[in-house]
Amino acid sequence: MRGTITRTGDRVRTIEYLTSHGSIYAPVLVAGIAIALTSGLLAPFVVLKRLSFIGHGVSHTAFGGAGLVAALGLIGAMGQGGLLAYGLIALCCIAAAGMIGVLTARSGAEGRLSDDTFIGIVLVGAMAVGAILMKMSSGSGPMLDLETLLFGSIVAIGSAEAIAAWVCSIVIALVLLIERRRIVFWTFDEPGARAFGVNTDRARLVLLLLLAFQIVVAMRLAGVLLATALLVAPGAAALRTSDQLARVVNRSALFGVIGVVGGLVLSFETDWPPGASIVVVLLLIFGVSVIFGKPRKIEGGVAS
Amino acid sequence: MSGAAVEPALRIRGLSFTYPRAAESTLESVSLSVQPGEVLAIVGPNGAGKTTLLRIVQGLLDGYRGEVRVLGLSPGEARRRGLVGSVAQRSGAMLAYPVSGHDVVMMGATVGLPGWRSPAVGVRERVTDALERVDALRYADAPIGTLSGGQLQRILVARALVIEPKLLILDEPTVGIDAAGQERFADLLARLKEHGNLTILLVMHDLRAVASGAASCDRIACLRRSLHFHDTPSGITAQVLADVFEHDLSPIFRGLHIEASGEQPRPPRTDQGSHDAGHDHADGGSCAHH
Repeated sequence: MRGTITRTGDRVRTIEYLTSHGSIYAPVLVAGIAIALTSGLLAPFVVLKRLSFIGHGVSHTAFGGAGLVAALGLIGAMGQGGLLAYGLIALCCIAAAGMIGVLTARSGAEGRLSDDTFIGIVLVGAMAVGAILMKMSSGSGPMLDLETLLFGSIVAIGSAEAIAAWVCSIVIALVLLIERRRIVFWTFDEPGARAFGVNTDRARLVLLLLLAFQIVVAMRLAGVLLATALLVAPGAAALRTSDQLARVVNRSALFGVIGVVGGLVLSFETDWPPGASIVVVLLLIFGVSVIFGKPRKIEGGVAS
Repeated sequence: MSGAAVEPALRIRGLSFTYPRAAESTLESVSLSVQPGEVLAIVGPNGAGKTTLLRIVQGLLDGYRGEVRVLGLSPGEARRRGLVGSVAQRSGAMLAYPVSGHDVVMMGATVGLPGWRSPAVGVRERVTDALERVDALRYADAPIGTLSGGQLQRILVARALVIEPKLLILDEPTVGIDAAGQERFADLLARLKEHGNLTILLVMHDLRAVASGAASCDRIACLRRSLHFHDTPSGITAQVLADVFEHDLSPIFRGLHIEASGEQPRPPRTDQGSHDAGHDHADGGSCAHH
């Protein structure tokens, strides 16, 4: 998958190589840090509001998008610097998140769909359509690199992608900053927030769109299947280290960066796919937090 | 707004509500009024329309027939002006959230504040005042996961009070709280009443809870689609409760009656014609049946 990269030996030289100017890894590292920071900011809310399945649903839609790309004959644009094809896939994912947000709105009409029904039928349907479109167009023209789509690729990231990742991350962080009070109130206590006049459907839509946006940015590096892990593991680990939301969010961002940078080093050392390597490091961080962190106290308490 | 002194805190006239595509109405010709400073408990079984009524009063549900005025305004307008505070039912998921009681009250105080601004000193003072008012300052900095049900409830009441509402709505405040906690809830109600002109609307399905808190309620309304009773607690009869709850509640009723009227417990036989009265009577004599 990444036959263009040659191994350079020991760890010191790895880090040197990763950070050296003009290295193929420099943009990967730059993009990875942007992705890690915003994933970390969002992750505690995903864990607290139990939204990880929405992430999976949205990332499945990427398959439908890839099928569309194949059908439109844009596969050639999928490779290095293929921002056109990639943008189309991203658009499908964000549209899917928007549809979840609108069609499953809590205070909407009576016959609304539940989240899991929507994801189980509509989004997986998009994946099926994507698979059919890919098969139908496989005879004509070049093949789609499915492995890149599923597990991510370092060679897919160039300077343009690194800049795009930072722009996207800054947008996500700014929206989160502007909307933070509504999102916190809604994730903490949905009926309470509504009684205080918070438009909870809007807060939900905003967070879903941010998650979709984050997933499509991370997908390039970590792949469709593993992009969601970045939105769960750092938050789950950070929640075990503190009872203060601000600290949890900061640590989650820190854990995300450790996971991504550590994963990229691991990927380079072992020649494993980057997405899988990042997930392995994130799992290690989560494991450490389970062993050494505080378990979340759910019951009991002192009498008044 | 000087005319508001004579305006009831809440006035409902001929309120009916039917959910779209529902065969029958959830609320039918409900009329009630609550004077400023009064505590009204609305009691009824599950599915009686209590939550629907609350949502209408909070301005969260439109499409009703009849008149609803909150402090002389439409429900939505009253809520937007911060005149209505409410405490919804607590959920267990809250306890896992990494916030303190102080943070929770701050959420209520800063709900309209843009995310890039930090709260002013005055806002912080209001948060402390609200916590003080429910006597929760001692545990306000503890993570809410470590609080008891009753303590968390006080925090949520403080969050509702921080916007300085004129009408406070408490939805099922005693669910999931033990007997001692329910007693302390009665204390909390009394404490809130002391503060003056705060009108309180309580909604409960558990009559036992009403019985223990009845001394603090000025009036009780029994709801099942329509109002079956709307008066002071001492006026409730077994017949009213049987109508509302559709089964014999006289044992609870006795507890309610005694608490509410402050009388000594009387022999159970004075209750006319209920199965339980007969059963109690049998305690002293023979259990033989023929």
